[in-house]
Amino acid sequence: MSDIHNSAGGVPTTGHVWDDDLADYVNQPPKWWMLGLTASAIWVVVYWTMYPAVPLAMSGTFFEGVGLPGSGKWTAIKELAEDQKVLDDVRKPYEDKLKNMTPAAILADEELSKYVERSGKVLFSDNCGGCHGQNGVGTEQVGAKFAQREQGLMAPRLNDDDWLYGGTIDDIHTSISGGRQGMMVAHKDILSAAEIDTLANAVASGNPASTPLFAEKGCTACHGADGKGMAAMGSANLTDKVWRFDGSLEGIKQTITYGVNAGDNARVAIMPNFTAAGKLSAVEMKKLAVYVYKFGGGQKAAPVAVEVAPAVEAASAAEAAPVTAP
Amino acid sequence: MSDHDKIYSTKFQDKIERNTLLMFVLTAVAVAVGGIVEIVPLFYLPNTGMCQNDPTCNNTQHKDLQGNAIPMDKIIWNPATSAHKTLADWQPGDGVRPYTALETAGRHVYIREGCFLCHSQMIRPFRDEKDRYGHYSIAEESMYDHTYQWGSKRTGPDIARVGGKYSDEWHRKHLKYPRDVVPESVMPNFFFLEKNPVDTVKLTKTLEVMTQMPFNPVPKTIYTDAYIAGAAKEVEGKTEMDAVIAYLQSLGNHVKFEEGVNYRD
Amino acid sequence: MEAKQATPVKYDMDVVRWFTIMAVVYAVVGTLIGVYVASELAFPFLNFDIPEITFGRLRPLHTNAVIFAFGGCVLMATGFYIVQRTGATKLWSNTMAWFTFYGWNLIIVLAVITLPLGMSSGKEYAELPWWVDIMIAVVWLSYGLNYIMTIGIRKTSHIYVSNWFTMGMIVMITYLHVVNSLAIPVDMATAYSIYSGVQDAMIQWWWGHNAVGFYLTGGFLGIMYYFIPKQSGRPVFSYRLSVLHFWTLTFGYVWLGAHHLQYTALPDWTGSLGAAISLSMIIPSWGGAMNGMMTLSGAWDKLRTDYILRFLVTAMAFYAMSTFDGPVMAIKSVNALSHYTDWTVGHVHAGALGWMSMISFGAIYHMVKKLWNTEMYSDKLVNVHFWVALIGAVTYVVAMWVSGIMQGLMWRDYDEFGTLTYTFVESVSAMHPYYVMRAVGGAIFNLGTWIMLYNVIMTVRQAGAVRGVNAVAAKA
Ligand code: HEC
Ligand code: HEC
Ligand code: HEC
Ligand code: HEM
Ligand code: HEM
Ligand SMILES: [Ca+2]
Ligand SMILES: [Ca+2]
Ligand SMILES: [Cu+2]
Repeated sequence: MSDIHNSAGGVPTTGHVWDDDLADYVNQPPKWWMLGLTASAIWVVVYWTMYPAVPLAMSGTFFEGVGLPGSGKWTAIKELAEDQKVLDDVRKPYEDKLKNMTPAAILADEELSKYVERSGKVLFSDNCGGCHGQNGVGTEQVGAKFAQREQGLMAPRLNDDDWLYGGTIDDIHTSISGGRQGMMVAHKDILSAAEIDTLANAVASGNPASTPLFAEKGCTACHGADGKGMAAMGSANLTDKVWRFDGSLEGIKQTITYGVNAGDNARVAIMPNFTAAGKLSAVEMKKLAVYVYKFGGGQKAAPVAVEVAPAVEAASAAEAAPVTAP
Repeated sequence: MSDHDKIYSTKFQDKIERNTLLMFVLTAVAVAVGGIVEIVPLFYLPNTGMCQNDPTCNNTQHKDLQGNAIPMDKIIWNPATSAHKTLADWQPGDGVRPYTALETAGRHVYIREGCFLCHSQMIRPFRDEKDRYGHYSIAEESMYDHTYQWGSKRTGPDIARVGGKYSDEWHRKHLKYPRDVVPESVMPNFFFLEKNPVDTVKLTKTLEVMTQMPFNPVPKTIYTDAYIAGAAKEVEGKTEMDAVIAYLQSLGNHVKFEEGVNYRD
Repeated sequence: MEAKQATPVKYDMDVVRWFTIMAVVYAVVGTLIGVYVASELAFPFLNFDIPEITFGRLRPLHTNAVIFAFGGCVLMATGFYIVQRTGATKLWSNTMAWFTFYGWNLIIVLAVITLPLGMSSGKEYAELPWWVDIMIAVVWLSYGLNYIMTIGIRKTSHIYVSNWFTMGMIVMITYLHVVNSLAIPVDMATAYSIYSGVQDAMIQWWWGHNAVGFYLTGGFLGIMYYFIPKQSGRPVFSYRLSVLHFWTLTFGYVWLGAHHLQYTALPDWTGSLGAAISLSMIIPSWGGAMNGMMTLSGAWDKLRTDYILRFLVTAMAFYAMSTFDGPVMAIKSVNALSHYTDWTVGHVHAGALGWMSMISFGAIYHMVKKLWNTEMYSDKLVNVHFWVALIGAVTYVVAMWVSGIMQGLMWRDYDEFGTLTYTFVESVSAMHPYYVMRAVGGAIFNLGTWIMLYNVIMTVRQAGAVRGVNAVAAKA
């Protein structure tokens, strides 16, 4: 078989031919390529002296100290420490102050509350937004069209001025650091269907006390004689038409029938205890309190709240039934 | 035939090109080297692989800030030395433990539904990942993960330390219809998990299999015969939803990390 | 001492024809599923609350369909085609080749059934259940044995370069598949890897990277070394370069798996080793790309008229690009940003759409003409396919590069107070436009495969008709 030659340059082929016309020229690889190949080999060796790259030499390399300056000193954890330091230096002046301040004092300090507002954003969204919605708007918007399917809000809205447990900076901080778990007994075995119906209608109308059942059946123990709720146990205000769960008649009936955090079919309302879970530091929880307060619904500390709270707390919330409303 | 017998590479290369068997053998050797060098040493890592019971394997150990070796049973739960003797008693911070029966069933769901294609379980030692997800992951934490679940893509966030971050109820709601709680989410609805009861036959077999693994098996002192026999009972009435939530809640709180200690040595 | 082909060899080409047809079909199917999967990320309602088609179950079907169904059929079609023609011999065993054909397609059918049912092993690109893994091993060995034995009975003195690469692939994939798939079964649906944690991770990415390096790259380089010289009618640019390209890649690629695990709980040395060698792979890879491109030097004008050559040359450009992109991503500081993001997905598809698919399309068109001994039904449609595929691939890859880099930057951005700037969900919603763009790019690319399917069917029918006419004429 004849040799195939490059018609242009006259370079011969190796002389081997496959499948009629397949052949290889004997061209040399370009010079830059051969240099590159050599450089690549050298590169590997140099890299090995710079970074730990020898199996089983867990930190550092066998070449420690050999090669380029700083060789063999790198570890991922050292790199982390260096990067972290840059951040810490920026944060330190603020964080140092925060450590020993109460949430209320932070709120009063303009510069610090600005700092906290910034650092609260990701903290809130990545830890709390799932339940309370981005910026505390609640999680109902998209889910709303599925309202029948689901039980309304996952957790209370935090950007309004309606609070289950009180809206002062300290109340909010307590909610976050200790978690919350409101409790309402199921009434399915206590009330008849007709009674539930009456109560639900009264509640839906915005004036629960309009039926004597409200006091007779002990609702007032938790929701107060006027139905305005009690911050101490997180019982909802039933007169403001701001619904924690579901304001439809059916929804209200469900709440009354099965209660809240009371077992089967009950509405579930658990705010995790972030202190116990070890997920957030003390400072982070203070930051969040200020951040949540500044959604706009935060309330000035009212002397009344301070007086009422210890009194009711003394009677354990779960056994609050005998306590009559003031 | 002037050029035919001329060799343009080396004699040896020319010989290889003429000899099928020689080329086969040389190729087979060339492609084996890299893998052996990178894989085999990992079986001799402290605390895992063949060194499961030898914390000083390879002369490396985690050290606290004073330079004292951290005892391995602070990192890997050992019922023999721990104050908490059974899976039911285990407390967060007791050290890495195998999954409970329900969690094991949940882990199966996690793999089956391809969660690992969107979620990583491997926090890298970067400051932003620390701020977002928590302490960086360490080798021991996945030592019982037969078929590791580190993932390679974060379409959703890392969930190596999601345990305890949300309530069970939140997970239930989120897994069923993620957009009900996170409007921006692109995660599929997994509402159907609530309809499937946990497969107890599969579960029992899985627990057994985990004790039979050649590397990093679950010790028989933890998955005792009694535990395996009681597994079906333990998950009675549970759905796959309960199981996967239990699994998620178990992630990330096994070891109590101390600030400033290097856990990667 | 080359074979003097006085009497042309009668090759076993029927099985090649069928592999070729199936490759075209799977190109359509695999990319169609890709488009659907992409759309699910853009518009999650498309999961339709049907467990079998949720993203987590469909994505493995996409990767398996494109890699094993489409890629596999291309590799087997071209492999059997090349090994016969460059060895001037029939297959060692035609029967075994048909076994490979039916076996491989059966596996694909099983993938279509088992993956949507959620029978996943939980390892990327190795999701198929354990008993299918065993079938894969058997069928793969039947392919490998037949291939290597056919090289053994070749009539030419030297083994052609394409066959070096394919043989390298056969050996390496056998190692990888067997070692990575070792698992203890629980039942038909489920098995758990015998390795765990760090060890399992390293073995998985030793597999994952080299499935890419030897299967999606090595095997397709074998295709390149045959079809570019053939289609352009010119000898390979440099024999010396072929030799160096082959051995450096074969020895070097194996080490790269660790670059998928940088900064993870593996010891630092593993990632560094993978990174160092990844960077040193640019030059060998570019050697291959150059060997392909330079084969055309002096014949560039052919690109104006030869649409098939366009596919082949564009593939080399993408090969050069993705083997630059990959090593860059292996650099520690870059990987810190790119890992876990869409950048990886962009890189994957620069390789998959630009390199691996383009070279396959070129090879398929070339083979169809030869196998059915006819011209394409429409050369114009070949050209349309080329442009559609190019536009689709570029749209896809650009979208993912932008979204990937954006994702990476958003996740790590700090403001002047030293606080994270963006929440995670902000990054999710920022991806939306790019996910839409990717789905559109993918749909365009997929349209191209339909055009190819149509063109190939019409070509085969036309060839059949001609043959029919000839037969009638012969009888008359
Ligand atoms: C698992 C869901 C969930 C998560 C996560 C969560 N919360 Fe809550 N949160 C709730 C529920 C449910 C309530 C209501 C509890 C009740 O009704 O007893 C609540 C109540 C509150 C309250 C009291 C509201 C009021 O009306 O008095 C505040 C303040 C609050 N959460 C802040 C936060 C912050 C800050 C975070 C993040 C660190 C957070 N929450 C995370 C579910 C959650
Ligand atoms: C043991 C204390 C307790 C008793 C008794 C009680 N509740 Fe409640 N109720 C609560 C608490 C606490 C909540 C708030 C739940 C939450 O958000 O965590 C609540 C919430 C509600 C809600 C939902 C309000 C909303 O915004 O969606 C309705 C309706 C309601 N109660 C009605 C009643 C009626 C009617 C009765 C009497 C039959 C009653 N409750 C008795 C503690 C009680
Ligand atoms: C299509 C991709 C996708 C799949 C598949 C997927 N997820 Fe998600 N996941 C997301 C996205 C995006 C988010 C972030 C938005 C949100 O919270 O929904 C998320 C969030 C989560 C979170 C909350 C994490 C946090 O810290 O806020 C958990 C837990 C979770 N997913 C579990 C799962 C489980 C379990 C599965 C499988 C049964 C799964 N995911 C499958 C995309 C996905
Ligand atoms: C129409 C064309 C295609 C579209 C629209 C498409 C779409 C997708 C999508 C949406 C993903 C998931 C990415 C993620 O999880 O974020 C994916 C992954 C993948 N696709 Fe494709 N694809 C196409 C063609 C191909 C082809 C031809 C191949 C050939 C091999 C391929 C190989 C892969 C691989 C390997 C992955 C996994 C990537 C990873 O894990 O990083 N795709 N594709
Ligand atoms: C020298 C050449 C190459 C190098 C050094 C390289 C390097 C890389 C790197 C660093 C990653 C990202 C790993 C991570 O962060 O998770 C990656 C991913 C990937 N590459 Fe390449 N690449 C190369 C060529 C190619 C080619 C040509 C293809 C395709 C045909 C390809 C397909 C893939 C795939 C599928 C992944 C995704 C793996 C996953 O699921 O995470 N690569 N590559
Ligand atoms: Ca109210
Ligand atoms: Ca991946
Ligand atoms: Cu790789």
